[in-house]
Amino acid sequence: MGGYIVKRLISAIPVLLGITIIVFLIMSLIPGDPATAILGSYATPENVAKINRDLGLDKPLVQRYFIWLSNMLTGDFGRSYSLNRPVIDEVLERFNATLILAGTAFVLCSVLGILAGVVSAARQYGFADKAITFVVLIGISVPSFFLGMMMILLFAVNLRWLPVSGMFAIYGGGDLADLIRHLIMPSLALAAVATGVIARLSRSAMLEVLRQDYIRTARAKGVHERRVIMGHALRAAMVSIIPVLGIQAGFVLSGAVYIEIVFQWPGVGRMLVDAILTRDLLLVQGGVVFVAACYVMFNIAVDVAQGLLDPRIQT
Amino acid sequence: MTGFLKLLFRNRLAAMGAVVLTAILILVLITPVLPLQNPDATATADRFKRPFAEGYLLGTDHLGRDLTSRLLHGTRLSLAVGVAAALIAATIGSAIGIIAGYFGGRTDNIIMRGVDMLMAFPYILLALAIVAALGPGLMNALIAVAAVNVPFFARNIRGITVGLAGREFIDAARLAGMGHTRIILTELLPNVAPVIIIAMSTTVGWMILETAGLSFLGLGSQPPQADLGSMLGEARSALISHPHTSIVPGIMIFLIVMSINLLGDGVRDALDPRLRSGALSRPRATTLVERAGDIPAATDDLLAIQNLETRFHVGKRIYRAVGGVSLAVKPGECLGVIGESGSGKSVTALSVMGLVASPPGVITGGAVRFQGEDLIGAPYESLRRKRGDRVAYIFQDPLSTLHPLYRVGEQLAEAIRSHRKLGKADGRARAVQLLKDVRIPNAESRVDDYPHEMSGGMRQRVGIAMALANEPDVIIADEPTTALDVTVQAQILSLLDDLRRERGLAIIFITHDFGVVAQLCDRVAVMYAGRIVEEGPTQAVLDAPAHPYSRRLIACVLELGAGGVNWPLSPVCRRRWTICRRDVPLRRGATRRGKAAGPGTFRWRARTRVPCAASIPRRPSRCPRSGSRTSPRPFR
Repeated sequence: MGGYIVKRLISAIPVLLGITIIVFLIMSLIPGDPATAILGSYATPENVAKINRDLGLDKPLVQRYFIWLSNMLTGDFGRSYSLNRPVIDEVLERFNATLILAGTAFVLCSVLGILAGVVSAARQYGFADKAITFVVLIGISVPSFFLGMMMILLFAVNLRWLPVSGMFAIYGGGDLADLIRHLIMPSLALAAVATGVIARLSRSAMLEVLRQDYIRTARAKGVHERRVIMGHALRAAMVSIIPVLGIQAGFVLSGAVYIEIVFQWPGVGRMLVDAILTRDLLLVQGGVVFVAACYVMFNIAVDVAQGLLDPRIQT
Repeated sequence: MTGFLKLLFRNRLAAMGAVVLTAILILVLITPVLPLQNPDATATADRFKRPFAEGYLLGTDHLGRDLTSRLLHGTRLSLAVGVAAALIAATIGSAIGIIAGYFGGRTDNIIMRGVDMLMAFPYILLALAIVAALGPGLMNALIAVAAVNVPFFARNIRGITVGLAGREFIDAARLAGMGHTRIILTELLPNVAPVIIIAMSTTVGWMILETAGLSFLGLGSQPPQADLGSMLGEARSALISHPHTSIVPGIMIFLIVMSINLLGDGVRDALDPRLRSGALSRPRATTLVERAGDIPAATDDLLAIQNLETRFHVGKRIYRAVGGVSLAVKPGECLGVIGESGSGKSVTALSVMGLVASPPGVITGGAVRFQGEDLIGAPYESLRRKRGDRVAYIFQDPLSTLHPLYRVGEQLAEAIRSHRKLGKADGRARAVQLLKDVRIPNAESRVDDYPHEMSGGMRQRVGIAMALANEPDVIIADEPTTALDVTVQAQILSLLDDLRRERGLAIIFITHDFGVVAQLCDRVAVMYAGRIVEEGPTQAVLDAPAHPYSRRLIACVLELGAGGVNWPLSPVCRRRWTICRRDVPLRRGATRRGKAAGPGTFRWRARTRVPCAASIPRRPSRCPRSGSRTSPRPFR
């Protein structure tokens, strides 16, 4: 197992390098003079020259890339113009909030999605199956930002059960219970689409597995049906569910951008949108690279989980 | 194509999606000619009018602009941008995919590495980076969304192209001296195009949603121009005071995406033939019972199958797999059930404990009595308690019948744990002992193996050990040696025989091999087309088979030795045997040799020849080893 993890980690290095190259190339697409684009109306000749020097834009492209890369490796992602603080500090702080939101949503969509898929498959064509299929269909069709807004209307404005937005109450909040109260709506809204996708996939994976010979063997042994479904069948179905969890994690992370805007969540997605609108390109660059790298590492964890589950993969 | 459309619209949800989508498309197309107000004309006096207010069907927004007009124009814009993004992504992605797949080698390698890198991003990060570089704006959002979806097309189309590039017609085109460009355009593209269109139709919904999302964030369409996303984004600040401005565009996005999803699902289902036949139905915990007719009275046998009828209901068609089979075993007895594949012997065996996959299996008649108690239609829990505990199964092909993700020791312990309490350490000890009982060497280390780490013979022993785990009264062995080679087969058989003598268990041994029956069984029943055609003590049936079918089985198999020859007889021959349509099996003592009681009497010419020449298929061939005439297709 250790060897397998190391192998996967090594295979991530070219992917991580590729990510930095792609982001770097995209950022060098900026039409016209980047310094002018960044400065906007403050583009006096002295300022332009200073920015060009600061960003190393007077050097050739390849050299610039390697300077940028080696700086990043030492933890220097540059300085944010709009916030006037190191990019990495801002990104880490914001990523923390995103991690709480996206992590909760990911756990929710995995648990709810798999559960719904299993129930749906176990009660195929029954009432539960039809009800779940219907809810799932709605769930995957509602844009998460619209769902979030409707939840605010219903649960925060009309019913007054939950706070409208933010991560903590402004006065007297700050403890875990407060966080959870603020987390319920955004994480559910964020999880909705992924839950639907996972539920659908789990249902078909379960149906596929339930027809296998080893399920008949389990039943012939006298294993209780509940254990046949939740043990034998689900375990085998997880082999095809887990890779999709990895893909859905990417969608949850993407959706977090919208949800953070709707719910005023102080996460990295909102930071990126604000940075784009204020043309704070170093912040965008650093944030994108950091989050993408985290996502790559997460997918390695998914692969390792897959390896742990299925003994046939490692060898 | 019409068949496909018929299939698609029989799916009510897909039809509904098509109707909604068509309605929206028509509305959007005629928007310019509809008597609408200017979508950008502000009227500060009429701010936030509610829906159905005079002059404003859907009300007005924060600048007093008519929402109906804005909605339709916004939908138009959103759809146009989404479709444009899909077209761009499909064109560029497919071109990349075709080039990678067609040229292969290093080109393929480099391109696909790049594609993999792009796919390593959560899509929004890439889109945000592109918008950040190009600046906010609807055109740039379109470019970003298209770019993000390029890898999806590239990867899919490459896969298809790789398959096509190796085909003969491409080679032929090359030999004919066509250039690469011409081959790609005239030979490859027409074949790939349908896949591109399907991939586009499934992703266009996503792309509409993604562009709407970027506009919602304020990175797409800029005021006063509005698509659905930016309408929703602008309305957000008035969400609490005037929710209708948010709800109107939100519901429109929802309707578009849902109708595209429904249609896409319909297309997928119509294209997937497995779903058409209903083969993806899950088997229930026990076989469905719809018993008509009388239930036979109890006997004093240990296990008695009485007049059992099992059918398969596939769509509107009904297949009679088992048509009134009666069998019985006493303690310590071994009954062989022999017949060709498809004769219904496995279905008979699985019916005993309600293990026939259902759907499509249905038990429609008869009884199965274990110690006098009828198991057909018994409550699930009472059936479950007997499964594996009193009546255990050994299945064919242990690679597919053992769970691939559990260690064999766990699977053995579970067989016991399902019926009685068993600690972890005890379970392991019992598993080791069971493996030793079936003579697996190094049982202590083998107990931690996964099935894929064992050889076929060992896995089969594990299957036997599992059946023995609870010291059952009856073991039903369904071709347990068919997948094995001859030496291993002999070992397994003698193992089963020893166990039977040691423990006094009754065995129902299902096989298509008379050699195996001769070695192991006290009595044998010959099954053909869902019925027992002959039954008696093994030696008597072997010496003087009464039914032509039995004679054929014996004639070939004995001469071939114990080899596992499959015996499918052609349907032609099936029709010519009048005896096979008889309801009553031939039983020793009940009939005289060569003569069946009642109708359907048959005769054969000479003992040494193949019986019933009339029944030989039209194109007889020689049995390779024995030289006797046999079915033209010895293997199916």
